[in-house]
Amino acid sequence: MVEHLFRNEYGKMLATLIRLFGTPHIGLAEDIVQETLIAAIEHWAVEGIPDNPSGWLVQVAKRKALNELKRQKIRLHHEDQLLFRQENTVEEKAVFLEDEIKDNQLRMIFTCCHPALSTESQIALTLKTLCGFGVKEVAKALLSTESTINKRLYRAKETIRKSQSSFNIPQGKELETRLQAVSLTLYLMFNEGYNATSGELPIQKGLCLEAIRLTKLLKEHFKHHRRLSALLALMCFHAARFGARIDNGGAIVLFEDQDRSLWDKELIQIGMNHLADSFPDDSLSSYHIEAQIAAEHCLAESFENTDWQSLYKLYELLGKLKPNPVVELNLAIIQGRINGLEASLKQLESLAKKNTLSHYHLLPATQGMFLMQLARYKEALPYFEAALQLKPSTAELEMINSKISECKEKLSKAK
Amino acid sequence: MNHLSPDELQHIMEAYKSWVADLGDQYLGGQRLEDHGTLLKSKDEEILTDGPFLESKEIIAGYFLIQAKDQEDANKIAQSSPHLGLYTIEVRPIAFPKMK
Repeated sequence: MVEHLFRNEYGKMLATLIRLFGTPHIGLAEDIVQETLIAAIEHWAVEGIPDNPSGWLVQVAKRKALNELKRQKIRLHHEDQLLFRQENTVEEKAVFLEDEIKDNQLRMIFTCCHPALSTESQIALTLKTLCGFGVKEVAKALLSTESTINKRLYRAKETIRKSQSSFNIPQGKELETRLQAVSLTLYLMFNEGYNATSGELPIQKGLCLEAIRLTKLLKEHFKHHRRLSALLALMCFHAARFGARIDNGGAIVLFEDQDRSLWDKELIQIGMNHLADSFPDDSLSSYHIEAQIAAEHCLAESFENTDWQSLYKLYELLGKLKPNPVVELNLAIIQGRINGLEASLKQLESLAKKNTLSHYHLLPATQGMFLMQLARYKEALPYFEAALQLKPSTAELEMINSKISECKEKLSKAK
Repeated sequence: MNHLSPDELQHIMEAYKSWVADLGDQYLGGQRLEDHGTLLKSKDEEILTDGPFLESKEIIAGYFLIQAKDQEDANKIAQSSPHLGLYTIEVRPIAFPKMK
């Protein structure tokens, strides 16, 4: 049986039922989907998995939904009765159904990314409803607790219920605004998965893959919104490097040390195609630039053979579009490749004085690394110690501690 | 209590499949029961309702039939069942006449 079959089908079923019941009844829809999956367990375990598991699940879910509608006397939210024909044997109906399912998922994306919800709630709700993550899994993915996530989800559903939003794909001007918000949420979801070097790797990877899947769904529907292609490209490029980022012991492998043969070349190529699709565009977005930056790295044969000059220009452009101290940090790091580490350290020092990154552990960590590379081990130590104080993730903590040990070792040998 | 996640349910299903296969002849069949039906308490009083009738925790979700040497054997089989991920199980021998 396909891995994550239930999870993949969960989102489709739920979106279909919400189309029927309307957004105020998300909870009821979730219950019915749950019962459907349990019914599948009972039947399939004994009778075997049906030829069309997806079809089986949708049929059963619809039947249960109809019964519940009668029982609770809920009026059908959506007039389209075609969804409720029991047998969809004709091929045209099957295609219609597939499009309908995609449309319902799109409607669901916009519902989850409701402007009245905080981004954290949007992400949590999307993961729970569209991506079929359990509450425990959402909590692990977002480095939170089950009880916090339960509260978030409850409040989010309440907000949606009260707002009485229709289950629709926005149009016209509203679409532009909503798409921007949805893109940001998916970007942040991807980020959560990508950045978390603690937590469970399969779940974190699952987050990234789900963000990609949903962005792809959006791109297919909104072909003219090239920003989506840019976003998709950058996700592909970053995801392509997953295999090389963590070693077999679960420790971080620094970018410069990564074995590039472990980068997923197919995914990089897919990213390139999406990047090509993202131009020309009316306006340059940060996603375009970030995608270009990621592409630049993915195309380089090695760390040494990277086109640092181009990268510097791209980061400068990004900095103009979205002024950001992290961009400044990246610029200072690239300075190191172009003008040497001393020049970079000067820039990092002046950046540190601005105090815009006073809570960001990667700044002192970088300073420590560069000093180490210049064999200035004694000077490096306090920077590493400072980085430890700024709450790095568990894996990053281990990395920093290993560098500290290395420095101390070098210092004791020198004596 | 939170629902089990789709991944967890799939895991249970795969476990259930192997369980049935491993039991072979000892597994005689099983059925899930629908949520609706009728509750009768006495000859005169008939309550027709769609159910569930009891507190949701006490619904009889279904049954399965196994062949076992004795209660201990039956308990072992039930213990190994993945149903325990979802339900509690009552293990009852069928009264006379027993199957050979």
